[in-house]
Amino acid sequence: MLSGLGTHGPHVSSLGLLAINSLLFTSAIWLLMRPNNSQKGWLWSLFLLAIIASGARILLSGLPNIMPVTILVIMVASKYGLQRSIAFVILVTVSSNAVLGDGWWTLFQVLAWSSIAAVSAFFSVHNNDGILNMKRLSFAAIWSVPLFSIIVSLSILDGTMGILEFGLYLFNGIPFDALHMIGNIFFAVWSGAWFERILSLQTPSQQRIVREDQHVSIV
Amino acid sequence: MKRVVLLLLLVLLLPFTKAESNYSWEHEFENGYITTQPLIIENSVYVRTSGFWIGDERPQVSAFDLVSGDEQWTFRSETTLQHDMSPLLFVESGSGACGTWQDLLIIAWADGKVTALNPSNGAFVWEAQTEVNVLGITGKLGLDEDRVVVPTRQGLSALCLETGERLLRVEFQDVGWRNGVLISESGYHVGTETGVLYSVNRDGTMSNISLGEGKIRHAPIETQHGLLVHLQTSTGSTLYLNNSILGNYGFSPALPLQYEDRIFLATSEEWVSLRCDATTCFEDSKSPFHSNGEMSIHNLDNGSIEIWIPSNTPDGGWGVFNQTSQLRMHTTKFDTYTTAAPGFSSGAMALGNDMGILQVTLFESDKSAEKTSSFSFAEILHYALLLSSYLLCCIFFATKNKPRFWKALTLFLLLLTVAAVPEVSTKWSTLIEQDSRATWNEAWPEEWKDTQIVIIEIDGKENIIGGLNGNSNVYELTQAASESLGISTEYEDQYLGLYLRSFNGTEGDGWEFTLDGTRSNTGIVDTAINSDSILHWRPA
Repeated sequence: MLSGLGTHGPHVSSLGLLAINSLLFTSAIWLLMRPNNSQKGWLWSLFLLAIIASGARILLSGLPNIMPVTILVIMVASKYGLQRSIAFVILVTVSSNAVLGDGWWTLFQVLAWSSIAAVSAFFSVHNNDGILNMKRLSFAAIWSVPLFSIIVSLSILDGTMGILEFGLYLFNGIPFDALHMIGNIFFAVWSGAWFERILSLQTPSQQRIVREDQHVSIV
Repeated sequence: MKRVVLLLLLVLLLPFTKAESNYSWEHEFENGYITTQPLIIENSVYVRTSGFWIGDERPQVSAFDLVSGDEQWTFRSETTLQHDMSPLLFVESGSGACGTWQDLLIIAWADGKVTALNPSNGAFVWEAQTEVNVLGITGKLGLDEDRVVVPTRQGLSALCLETGERLLRVEFQDVGWRNGVLISESGYHVGTETGVLYSVNRDGTMSNISLGEGKIRHAPIETQHGLLVHLQTSTGSTLYLNNSILGNYGFSPALPLQYEDRIFLATSEEWVSLRCDATTCFEDSKSPFHSNGEMSIHNLDNGSIEIWIPSNTPDGGWGVFNQTSQLRMHTTKFDTYTTAAPGFSSGAMALGNDMGILQVTLFESDKSAEKTSSFSFAEILHYALLLSSYLLCCIFFATKNKPRFWKALTLFLLLLTVAAVPEVSTKWSTLIEQDSRATWNEAWPEEWKDTQIVIIEIDGKENIIGGLNGNSNVYELTQAASESLGISTEYEDQYLGLYLRSFNGTEGDGWEFTLDGTRSNTGIVDTAINSDSILHWRPA
């Protein structure tokens, strides 16, 4: 299955990729079928956001690291919890990589976004009333980048790269991490409220109040 | 809704991911090669075919609409039979001592005929027959005021542009082949297959000088220090300046090209840039390359030039050089042996090759009649958005509209970062350049020491070449090595610069390189190399 070593770690054969993707997809289904969250009607919102995230990632693939996926992962994890957000990560990563290019790195992308989801599920960007806190979201847009960058970069380790070289590799990626951060903040500020409405589609209308720092919009 | 609009605006930035966005069309001639430069005149492309002609097949000259590729007209010779290698000559309308003439497309044939056509519709204007000795005309014609100067197989003729009437005829002792003519103040200069250079005065008197054992297969170049001739010899080629030897080079020299104080040469082994100063002409730089045909100059918008030369190898393509070194390799999906130089206009390029395929590329700036392009539109839009978002930041800050200020600020920062990251990332990586050592392999030949060495792993097999010199970046070295190893390469212009797409058509998951054992985080053009660097390409 793992037939050689390269930039992105082992080269994975087509059969291997099929097995990995099948395993990931099965995991996503399993995670979706075992809800532990009492909220209702989350499934369609999650699918809709997965389509938006995948589509935007594909459409914006020419601009490295500018995509709404990270922000959506944070918001989904904060709203729906870790389990569903990991399912969300798998769906988005596998479907968009089917177009952008699949390989060993898919696993690391899933791992990186899942890690962000884990932190976001713990340090929620919603307050106790379930209302989106834009300051927390903007902060998450920043801290999520180094976490993502480090975990995804692990995919290049092939046994020949030392710690120093890996550190230099990460250092070289800082301009692109900056792009990722600014892209995240951009999507948080411009689309955060909109994503939140989709996340809250099935909740009672009186609860669907999205509060941004100094203005309130009622959906 | 505004988010959707914003997403669409972001998508509009995508044209920045390509350094050059083009539109092109192709035409395949069923028979024959294209061995001479296609001409782009106003809204038409003119091209001729060459080859051995049998049966009903005939060589032809065709005109195509520059934008649509629609064939406008075709003129076939029913009599010429062999290599038609004399480049087409376009002559603007004018008048002179021998008469008045319209715009003309002049075609010289291997059966000795010279045909003048109306370039707009292909209508026959006049025809003249010149001398034939097995072959007729194979060299480049010259234009001298009111006459076209024709280097024939064993002599030279001058024909009036109005009627084709013969105004001058001289005979040589020796035959010529692809023997273009130089028009100078003193007269006409033509070389022969025996290494003799003939100089003909306008009154028909002439002199000659034998340069040496070899063949002169191009029009001499006029310099302030005398005529420059690249003589093809049995051991390679010898360069003569004012009848004195300037240097020796590889086999089968290409047609030299002059630009200001520089002269560009090519052979089966190298591309050479000569520079002429007040004292003499000398070799200024040299790069490995295989070219035996024509070269042409592409004038860029920024005032600089690129020299395009066809690679006469099975993989074909065109080497693109600045005045001293190779910049990149231009490839198409049709590449094969090529000797025809690209034809250029300000907004288009026409490529022809030995498969008889003509490919015309319109640079975006000239694609539409309005002379606008999606690239420039995107660029303008980008800067307009940048400026607008900055102004909005100021306005919202002044009006203390905090939520909108943050939105405008993030948009401004994003647009700014998108524009800045490619250059910043290049500079950034130079901050941490490593002092690494090349890994010398004892099995390599001693003469490779202190030279540039390249290893290209394809399908598990290492292709290694050493002894390379003079390459200044990874791109140049890769090209030099690929040429020497006979490996084809394919590149793509991306957001972050030139990207190597494939070796020998193998793309895989991409290709990565290490330089002196270290990964580089800059692009192949931006990564500088040393005189003893070891470059290692392997599948990602």
